[in-house]
Amino acid sequence: MSKGIRDWLEMRIGLDDLVKTNLTGSMVPKNVNLFYTLGFVSLVGYAIQVLSGIVLMIYYIPHPDHAFRSVQDIMSKVPYGWLFRQIHVVGSNLLVIAAFMHMITIFFMGNYKKPREMTWLGGAVMLIFTLAFCLSGYLLPWSQLSYWATTVVTSMPTAFPIVGDFLAHVLRGTEHVSGATLSRFFALHVSILPPLFLLFMAVHFLLVRRIGISSTPFGKSDEESRAWDRYQKKRHTDGYPYYPYFFQKQMFMALVYISVMFAIITFAPTLFLPVEANTPADPLKTPALIRPEWYFLAPYQMLKLIPNKFLGISIQIILVSIFIVWPFLDTHKEKNILKRPVLRGVFIALMCLWVLLMFWGMK
Amino acid sequence: MQRRKFLRVLLGLLGSGAAVSFAYPLLRFLAPPRTAAKQKSLVLSKGEIPAGEAKEIIYNNTPSIVINHPAKGVLAFTRVCTHLGCLVDYDKKAGRLICPCHAGTFDLDGKVMSGPPPKPLPKLPLRVEGDSIILG
Repeated sequence: MSKGIRDWLEMRIGLDDLVKTNLTGSMVPKNVNLFYTLGFVSLVGYAIQVLSGIVLMIYYIPHPDHAFRSVQDIMSKVPYGWLFRQIHVVGSNLLVIAAFMHMITIFFMGNYKKPREMTWLGGAVMLIFTLAFCLSGYLLPWSQLSYWATTVVTSMPTAFPIVGDFLAHVLRGTEHVSGATLSRFFALHVSILPPLFLLFMAVHFLLVRRIGISSTPFGKSDEESRAWDRYQKKRHTDGYPYYPYFFQKQMFMALVYISVMFAIITFAPTLFLPVEANTPADPLKTPALIRPEWYFLAPYQMLKLIPNKFLGISIQIILVSIFIVWPFLDTHKEKNILKRPVLRGVFIALMCLWVLLMFWGMK
Repeated sequence: MQRRKFLRVLLGLLGSGAAVSFAYPLLRFLAPPRTAAKQKSLVLSKGEIPAGEAKEIIYNNTPSIVINHPAKGVLAFTRVCTHLGCLVDYDKKAGRLICPCHAGTFDLDGKVMSGPPPKPLPKLPLRVEGDSIILG
């Protein structure tokens, strides 16, 4: 930055102080590792989704008579349309992986514990919003896959007496998935979820900044061992400066993320776009092999296995609720999961069960 | 009551009133009335469905199926699975209606044979008059 511009900004916004407070003078714990960059990677993932989504919106037509055709045109006629759609499709899947990994590592390192309960809560709600983004975006191409996946999801509320039918009707706008549903999901995807998500993201960042980054439980840290009896930001004065030390780690991981995305687009372009995704929606024919996206396969398989619809959906809601409010349930002081065999065992068992149900659901 | 407290209460009441008065129209806006016109009856020719075969139709805006079963006669069901809304298919060999989504199976009385559907498949009222099958 030229000195002139720098001086101009310094006089008006106190640039030097801003840089010192937020970048070079902001310290991260000494034992910070690559897993700490997953939040930043998710942020980069979201930014890619927003940009590619805006580009796609220029050609996409949210009407049942045109939606499928417009997406096919984006893929085959619009110059580089395929690239932006692939970025959006592959990006959404990678984003879910990054967000999941972020949550898992936070859980594994016990970083949700006091005083960071609200940070976890915000992150968990953002993960739910991410899945809502995926779900609402899934219908937009109006393919067989998207139509029937949406039929299944919008039928879920009907498991609940009294309010169930009303909720399903609000989601669909009509009795069955139709043009009204497409309009609703489009509105949800591009104008209702984004501001809500941004609000939670702002709160999440504010909390991370306000409380200070947590250390791993696997090393010594005075900041973490200090009792939290009153608010005092964890400053990690013995740590490393955020810029350039940690920033470089974050950028490296962001580039890994983008490299993986382009590797998939180049070498496995149909990985997330199976044949059914290129077949127009037929409201009179449910395809023989209907499967949701990989991250919904475990709950999908669970619904198959549990013979009672109300029970199946209730169990899933209870599990998600426990996940969201977990920091308030786990009041154990020990952060290190390696010293908590029961929690470690349950966590590994749940992960194995999730993977098992996912692969089972693929068949 | 102090003037400041009165104003606070008044503001709270006005705010709540405004929120509630917007909530109701919003709910109605999001859940429009079900205006699907009910079809009184639908007539099919018996010749359209040979014995052992089935025909998929739309009745009352709902995907449905009429089955001409050699032993049970002519039957009609909605095709919307009572589990999560996928459309069931008729398996001629097994004489069952099977949902491809979560493997729910119904017999030709609509009863759940296996899988997670919570309720039987709704049967549609029909009568056979001469060569005509009349639904509704």
